[in-house]
Amino acid sequence: MHMADALLAPAVAATMYVCSGTAAGISAHKLRKEENPQKLPTMAVTAALVFAGQMINYTIPGTGSSGHLCGGMLLSALLGPQAGFLSMIVILTIQCLFFADGGLLALGANVWNMAFYGCFVGYYLIWRPILRSGLFACAEEKTGQRARVILASILGSVVSLQLGAFSVVLETGLSGITELPFGAFVLLMQPIHLAIGLIEGLITAAVLVFVYESRPELLQDVDASDSGVSAKRSLRATLVILAVVAAVVGGGLSLAASSNPDGLEWALFGNTEAGYSENMGLDEETFGLSSSASETAGAIQEVTSVLPDYAFPDSESPAGTTVSGLVGSAMVAGVALLICAAGGFFRKRRANSAQEQ
Amino acid sequence: MIEFQNISFAYEKERPVLSNLSFCIREGENVGLIGANGAGKSTVMKVLLGLLKAEGRILVDGTEVTKGSLTEIRRKLGFVLQNSDNQMFMPTVYEDMIFAPLNYGLSRTEAEERVDKALEKLGLQELKHRHNHKISGGEKRMAAIATVLAMEPEVILMDEPTSALDPYNRRIVINTIRSLPQTKIITSHDLDMILDTCDRVILLSGGELAADGPADAILRDRALLEAHRMELPLCLGGARRQG
Amino acid sequence: MNQVERGACELHEMDELAARQSPIHSLCPLAKLLTTIAYLVTVLSFRKYDLSGVTVMLLYPVLLFQLSGIPVRTCFHKLRFVLPLVMAVGLFNPFFDRQPMLTLGALTLSGGVISMLTLMLKGVFCLMTAFLLMATTSIDALCAALRRLRLSGMPVTLLLLTYRYVGIMAEEAAAMTDAYHLRAPGQRGIRFSAWGSFLGQLLLRSMDRGSELYSGMQLRGFRGEFHYAAMKPWRWSDTVYLTVCVALFLVFRLFHLAQLLGSLLVR
Repeated sequence: MHMADALLAPAVAATMYVCSGTAAGISAHKLRKEENPQKLPTMAVTAALVFAGQMINYTIPGTGSSGHLCGGMLLSALLGPQAGFLSMIVILTIQCLFFADGGLLALGANVWNMAFYGCFVGYYLIWRPILRSGLFACAEEKTGQRARVILASILGSVVSLQLGAFSVVLETGLSGITELPFGAFVLLMQPIHLAIGLIEGLITAAVLVFVYESRPELLQDVDASDSGVSAKRSLRATLVILAVVAAVVGGGLSLAASSNPDGLEWALFGNTEAGYSENMGLDEETFGLSSSASETAGAIQEVTSVLPDYAFPDSESPAGTTVSGLVGSAMVAGVALLICAAGGFFRKRRANSAQEQ
Repeated sequence: MIEFQNISFAYEKERPVLSNLSFCIREGENVGLIGANGAGKSTVMKVLLGLLKAEGRILVDGTEVTKGSLTEIRRKLGFVLQNSDNQMFMPTVYEDMIFAPLNYGLSRTEAEERVDKALEKLGLQELKHRHNHKISGGEKRMAAIATVLAMEPEVILMDEPTSALDPYNRRIVINTIRSLPQTKIITSHDLDMILDTCDRVILLSGGELAADGPADAILRDRALLEAHRMELPLCLGGARRQG
Repeated sequence: MNQVERGACELHEMDELAARQSPIHSLCPLAKLLTTIAYLVTVLSFRKYDLSGVTVMLLYPVLLFQLSGIPVRTCFHKLRFVLPLVMAVGLFNPFFDRQPMLTLGALTLSGGVISMLTLMLKGVFCLMTAFLLMATTSIDALCAALRRLRLSGMPVTLLLLTYRYVGIMAEEAAAMTDAYHLRAPGQRGIRFSAWGSFLGQLLLRSMDRGSELYSGMQLRGFRGEFHYAAMKPWRWSDTVYLTVCVALFLVFRLFHLAQLLGSLLVR
């Protein structure tokens, strides 16, 4: 899901930098107030571990292919949302700088898409409510807790990846880069990331259950003692979770849908998978609701996609794609070759003179 | 049994780790692979196991180590890693031990038999259902050897089997190694252990073969060892510096 | 060599490139960082059909490659996995935007093709420049530069510390992967039943190592702030480099240089 620089208009990239930067600033501030100096080395080593863990192939049962780990949910379950978020930022930064996974300017957007949702939305809306709820309270204490860990990991990963994938579409759309219609892009991204999210969730769940069984004190919000009190909240917590999921999925889809009616038709009705709209808990009434949201989105899109044009007025011709433009480009390439040749010449001469000495 | 023919390896072109290495190990031999840090000992192991792709030919039982023959070859070679933590990735000792036999297509009962046999051989029955992260360093090392024994390999490769062990556990590991009938290749800086367990020593220096011969002869040759940044084994007076 | 090990190797290679000597290496990291950002913003601000405008931006990375002595081959070799992904971004454009835009003899290029090519060039240029920044600047120097930008100390310290441990953790993960595959012939990845314990064991150990690391830091008087490698001072050459580069980018962006050059030859 790493976005490359070329996918973003500078204005969108800058906005995302501001968003992610603010979240990072608040997180850092909160951590500093916590005054737990030991957290820093633990964060560093855990982040390094997740980084290494991302490079491991996990065979998906029943298929020959393999999945990977992203780690936002895992880190926030182990370190807490703020520390998890900062650790994810560091991981994404190293990936961006040394492996060219996602561009330098796109880093802000990537942090938002891949770290923010997993760490904050995943943690506050899913991990904590589920772990503190009385879900599975009828089961034995340990089995119940394990089931809650599994449910929270999977649900958290799926939801945060869906949100992340949707943000990718939104950011690209606002940048006005690709010709792919918004709806089609959403339809391309969301199902793929549903699968990816499931795998991510399963890996996260497997690891967290292992940690729970070996060293439960390492997990956030795992406290066996207060489960009796919170059992009452069971139904409410469940409803809250379901509502969040429905709102996110429904809202996301309908936003996509209403801002691009063609895409919508294709997505929901024209598609042969007739059960799609039902599966997503959507009926025709719901997506009428978010038309104001889509209007706002449209307005933002207009502003941002026009910005570069106003900022740098072009000299002539609609696009600068004339024959003379191309000839000029070829000449630029020629100059570039010349620079290379000159560089090679000077290096060789220096090497020779070094040898003579 | 194992034959290295002109093996060269380099991570980067300019800095060879192994250059033109040739030797032959016969069945039943116990070979100590020694050399200073960075001499290429671990690389020899990795190349033999097919973890790294080197230039030249390696034959195991007459089969060349290639991508296609890896499964067959790795079945014959059991590798005990230096860091047992890296070897034991399953939750319990038992699950770790049964991991390889099941992967090599044995039925669960056969695999269980092998696990029990290996545990009994090393006297570790009480470790069977313990968690890997809750056993001591010495137990972990023995359990790691047990996981490899459960594969019933023909050759056992060991990377620093006695590192970071207390004298008591070190002695247990040495006795265990001596009691294993398989062909063994052991890399270590613990030359006393090599002297105790090996009958032949290969000395590497800067990725080249510096000496190859009976353990007794090489490990007593102070001049040779010191020329390659090593010292005599302690039991032969290694710690007493001249002067 | 397995995948994890290769990752660690790549990090190591970048460190070695950054330790070389050249006029570019000796610039102040902050100047390089700011110039790179200016370059990226300029490249991305070109309009989507402005193919010939974007090509002019090729000159900067080419010049940088020559001045820094970093081989172009190394760059493309290291980026071989990422490049196809970046190139794939605009692949849909030709299908959706079929309006003819440019006719060259018998060849007619549609708007989609032009915008796809522009997008690909943008992607490649951005990658090259970001690569050049990291190939000529060490992570310590860059962190010092970030500190100078008044970025809060904690995340920067975290970045340095994590970078330091990525190598070590990758090594351990690589050894474990080897150990796994030696006893699991023919499997391409880690199978489901071992997912939890594989990463989990490593995780438990790394958490312990974290507290060990902390004691190590504390015992040597750590008080929440690292002392960075002596920072290269900002010199005249840095000011010149930054101003000249930014000015050039602006010229490239505002005046249609390729167009002007071309019109010298063609009518």
